[in-house]
Amino acid sequence: MNPKATKPDTAGIAIAAGLAVIAAVIWWDAGQLAQGSPYGLGPDAAPRVIAVGLAVLALANFAIAWRGRLPHREAGDLGAIVWIIGGLVALIAIIGLGGGFIPATAILFAATARAFGRRALPADLAIGFVIGVGAYLLFAKLLTLSLPMGPLERLI
Amino acid sequence: MSRIASRIFSETPVSRRLFTALGLALLAAPAGLSPAAAQMSDLKIMAPAAPGGGWDQTARSMQQAIVAANLARSVQVTNVGGAGGTIGIAQLVNGAKGDGNQLMVMGYVMVGAILTNKAPVTLEQVTPIARLTEETEAIAVPANSPLKTVQELADAIKANPAKVTWAGGSAGGVDHIAAALFAKAAGADPAKINYIPFAGGGEALAAVLGGKVTAGISGYGEFDSQVKAGKLRILAVTAKTRVPGVDAPTLTEAGLPLSITNWRGVVAPPGITAEQRAALTGLVEKMAQSPAWQDILKQKGWDGALMTGPAFDAFLKEENVRTTDILKSVGLVKP
Amino acid sequence: MDTFAQLLAGLSIAVSPHNLLFALAGVLLGTAVGVLPGIGPALTVALLLPVTYKLDPAGSLIMFAGIYYGGMYGGSTTAILINTPGESASMATALEGNKMAKAGRGGPALATSAIGSFVAGTIATLGLTFLAPTLVEIAVQFGPEDYFALMCVAFVTVSATFGDSPVRGLTSLFIGLALGLVGIDKLTGQARLGFGMPELLDGVEITTLAVGLFAVGEALYVASRRHHAPEQVEPVRGSLWMSLDDWRRSWKPWLRGTFLGFPIGALPAGGAEIPTFLSYAIERRLSKHPEEFGKGAIEGVAGPEAANNASAAGTLVPLLTLGLPTSATAAMMLAGFQQYGLNPGPLLFADHPQLVWGLIASLYIANVMLLVLNLPLVGVWVRLLAIPQPWLYAGILVFATMGTIAAKPSVMELAMLTVFGLMGYLMRRFDYPIAPVVVGIILGPVAEAQLRRALSISLGDPMVLVESPISATLLGIAALALIAPFVLKGLDRFRAQED
Repeated sequence: MNPKATKPDTAGIAIAAGLAVIAAVIWWDAGQLAQGSPYGLGPDAAPRVIAVGLAVLALANFAIAWRGRLPHREAGDLGAIVWIIGGLVALIAIIGLGGGFIPATAILFAATARAFGRRALPADLAIGFVIGVGAYLLFAKLLTLSLPMGPLERLI
Repeated sequence: MSRIASRIFSETPVSRRLFTALGLALLAAPAGLSPAAAQMSDLKIMAPAAPGGGWDQTARSMQQAIVAANLARSVQVTNVGGAGGTIGIAQLVNGAKGDGNQLMVMGYVMVGAILTNKAPVTLEQVTPIARLTEETEAIAVPANSPLKTVQELADAIKANPAKVTWAGGSAGGVDHIAAALFAKAAGADPAKINYIPFAGGGEALAAVLGGKVTAGISGYGEFDSQVKAGKLRILAVTAKTRVPGVDAPTLTEAGLPLSITNWRGVVAPPGITAEQRAALTGLVEKMAQSPAWQDILKQKGWDGALMTGPAFDAFLKEENVRTTDILKSVGLVKP
Repeated sequence: MDTFAQLLAGLSIAVSPHNLLFALAGVLLGTAVGVLPGIGPALTVALLLPVTYKLDPAGSLIMFAGIYYGGMYGGSTTAILINTPGESASMATALEGNKMAKAGRGGPALATSAIGSFVAGTIATLGLTFLAPTLVEIAVQFGPEDYFALMCVAFVTVSATFGDSPVRGLTSLFIGLALGLVGIDKLTGQARLGFGMPELLDGVEITTLAVGLFAVGEALYVASRRHHAPEQVEPVRGSLWMSLDDWRRSWKPWLRGTFLGFPIGALPAGGAEIPTFLSYAIERRLSKHPEEFGKGAIEGVAGPEAANNASAAGTLVPLLTLGLPTSATAAMMLAGFQQYGLNPGPLLFADHPQLVWGLIASLYIANVMLLVLNLPLVGVWVRLLAIPQPWLYAGILVFATMGTIAAKPSVMELAMLTVFGLMGYLMRRFDYPIAPVVVGIILGPVAEAQLRRALSISLGDPMVLVESPISATLLGIAALALIAPFVLKGLDRFRAQED
C-alpha cells in the first residue's frame, strides 16, 4: 500500500458526519410521534431501526475514510456544475414566478449546453425556445398535459 | 395518414385540439378565434389532487356538464395535488382570494385531512358553495363469517375491541372515522379499535375476501360486485335511509344512532362578493340539474346529493365538529 | 377448451381493421407520452383517457390497451437510451440497458426489451386466459405477513445492485430507506420527517428521485468530467439487430422474468417493481457472464423487461376476476370500464364475456402492434445518441423537468429533482451505487406497512410471521439466499484445498 492512501480522507469523513447527522434527525423525529395505533408496532419503530442502521454505517464509512481506503478520483469541473444547477434554479424561479414553461425551458437548455462546452448562448437559447414551443404544442395542446402557463403560453 | 387520423379522431374532443394545434403550428399565428357566446366568463375549477382520482374526476365531470349545458364560456380544470387536498386549499385561500370565477372540488376526506395534517388553512376560510354527491359507507364481512347481523358485530366490539379487526382506507379517512363512530355508538372506546388502513380500496377488499380481518368498511361501490357474487355479506349501510338494491339495514335501524356518508362538493375562495357567490351557486345548481350531469351521475354510479346555501354552510360546520371530536378520541388529533 | 374458443372469438373482434387502427393510434399516443421521464403507463392512461371517451366500448378498450403498452414501452426506451427510467418498474432496465446503449449496443437492448415484452405478454395472456380463476384464489390468501416475507426475499436480492463495496451499497440502501420514511405514515396518518412542509406530506415521489439520481445526476457528472475523461458515445457498434449470441443469452431471462412477473403481479399488493428487481438479481447470479453486469449485460435488460410486462398482465387477474384495481394503471382501467357502466368483478366474465375476452385479446393485439411498430424504429431511436453531447444532455434535462412538472404540478417537485440530481452527482463522484437508493425507497415503506399490519392483526404476536405456510416458505427462501453465497464460497475454498 502506498503511504498516500493511508492519509485520512476528508470527503469520506464529511460523508460519515453527514450520515450521522441524518441518523440523529430521524431519531429525534421518531421521538415526536404519537403512538397512534394501540396494537402492534408504532410509527416510530421503523425510523429508529433505520436511524441505528445509518449510525452504524456512519461509523463504518468513517473507519474506511480514516484509513484512506477510498477509490481514487479526480476533482470535477465545478464551473459545469454551477451552469447546470444555475439553469435548474432559473427554471424553478421562472416557473414559480409565473413566467411559463417555454422561457424556462429555453434557459435550462442553453445553460446545460454551456456546461458541456458550447459557447453560443444566443443560438442555444433560440434552439431551446423552439424545443420549448414544440414540446408545449405537442404535450400541452395535443396531448392535454398540463404544463406551467406564462404570458407566452396563454398566447398559443 | 390524415384520412386515418380523421377517422380515429373524428368523434373525440381531442381531435379539435389536435387540428387546432396543427393548424396553429402551420399558420404560426396566435389564436383569438374562440366563439364568444358567453354565459359566464372563464371558469376555473381546481381539483386538489393528482389527475385520475375522485376529486379530479368530479372536476372534469363538472367541466363536461357545464360546457354541455353552455353555462360558462370556458372551463379550465387545474390539478394541485397533495396531502389530502390541504395543499390545494392553501393555494385557493392564499392565491385566489376574491376571485369569483374560481371553484375548488372538495369532500369529506378533506375535512379529516385538514385536521390530521394540522393544515394551517381550514375550511372555515373558504366560501361554501354546494354539496354535489354522496356515497354511503358499508360494513361487510366474508360470506363465511360467523357474524350474521350488525348487532353481533357491535356486541363483539363492545366485548373486546382489539379482537375485531377492520380493513379500510387511509388512516383518518372516512372509513376510519366511520369505524371509530361505530365503536363509539356500540359502547366501546373508539381509541381501542383495531383499524388496519390499506392503500386504496382494492387491497382492503382483498384482505376482507381472504378472511384476514373481521370486517371491511368502505364505500358501498367497492363491495357491490362481491356481494352479488355471494362472496361478501353487507351487515349495514351508514346512510340515513336504506339504499335501494342493498339488502342491509341502516345503522340507525339496527339501534346505533349514527349516519355518515362520503360526500363531495365545491367551494369558492374567500373574499368574494355576495353577488359572485350567488352567481356561482346558481351556476352549480343549474349544472346539477342539467341532463348532462344526470347522465354522468348514472355513468359513474354517484348519488346526487345537491345541497346549497345556508343548509350547506351548517352541514359543513357540523361535519367539522363531529370529525374533530372523533379524531381526538381516536388519538389522530391531539386534544 | 371453452375459454380458448372465447379468446379466439375475442381475437376475431379485435383484429377488425377498425379496431386495429385504434390499437395503432393508442400505441403511438402512449409511446409519445410515455417517453417523458416520470410519466409511467398509469399516468399516460389517465392523461389520455378522455381521448377514448366517445368511442364504442370495444374500440375504446382496445385503444386503451394500446396506450397502456405504448406508455410502458416508452418508459423502457428512455431508460435504455438516456438512463432516465420513465417509471420505477423500468429502473432495473436502466441499470444494464443504458450501459449497453453507451457501448453502441442500444439496438440489441431495445430489441431484447421489445421482444421480451412480447414473449412475456404472450405467455401472460395465456396465463390470464387459463389460470386467472385459480390464481386469484391463491392471491387473496396472501396476508400482510406473507407480503412482508416477500419483501424480505426482495431485500436479500438488493445486494446484486451493490457494486464492490458492501458498506457503500448498504449506505445507499439506508439513504433510500430514510427517504421512504418521509411523509404521512400510512398506518397512523402522522407526518414523519415532514418538517412542517405540506409538500413533503405525500412523501418523496419515486420517479422524481429516480429521474434526479439517474438523469440529472448523470448530466452533472458527465459535464464535470468533460475535461478529465470525455465520454465516448458511439450510437451503433456492431449490428443494430440482436446477434445469435444475444438471442441465446436472452431467451431464458425472458422466460424467468415472465414466471416472476405474472404471479407477483397477480397479488393484490405485488406490484411491478419487486419482480423486476428479483429478475435482475437472479439473472446476475445465473449469468455465465457475471463480469459483464454493470457494464451492459443483455440478460439484465431481457429479464426485468419481461418481468415488467408480465406483471402488468398479472394485475389484470385480480382486476377482472375480483374487480380489485391493484395498481394505478388497473385503477385507470377500472375507470375505463365504469364509463360504460360495467363493473369488473366475479360476475363480469359471466355477464359480459365478449367484452372481457375482447379486452384480453386487444391487450395481446396491442402487444403485437408495439413490436411491429417499434422494431423498425430501433434504428431511429439509437440515432438520438448521435446528437452532439451538449444538446443531447440539454434535451435530457428539458425532458426530465417537463416530465416531473407534468406528473406533479409543483415547483417544489422541481426543487427536489435538483437536490436529488446533486445527490446523484455526489454519489457518482464518491463511488456510491445509485440503484439501492431507489430500491430502498420502494421496498422500505411497503415492508414496514405490511409488517405493522400483520402485527396489528395478531395483537403484537410475532409468531404470526412464521405460522403462515406462505410466509414461512418465503422467509426460508430469503434466509437461504442470504446464506447460500457464503456457503458456496466456503465450498469453493474447500474444493480448492482438496485440489
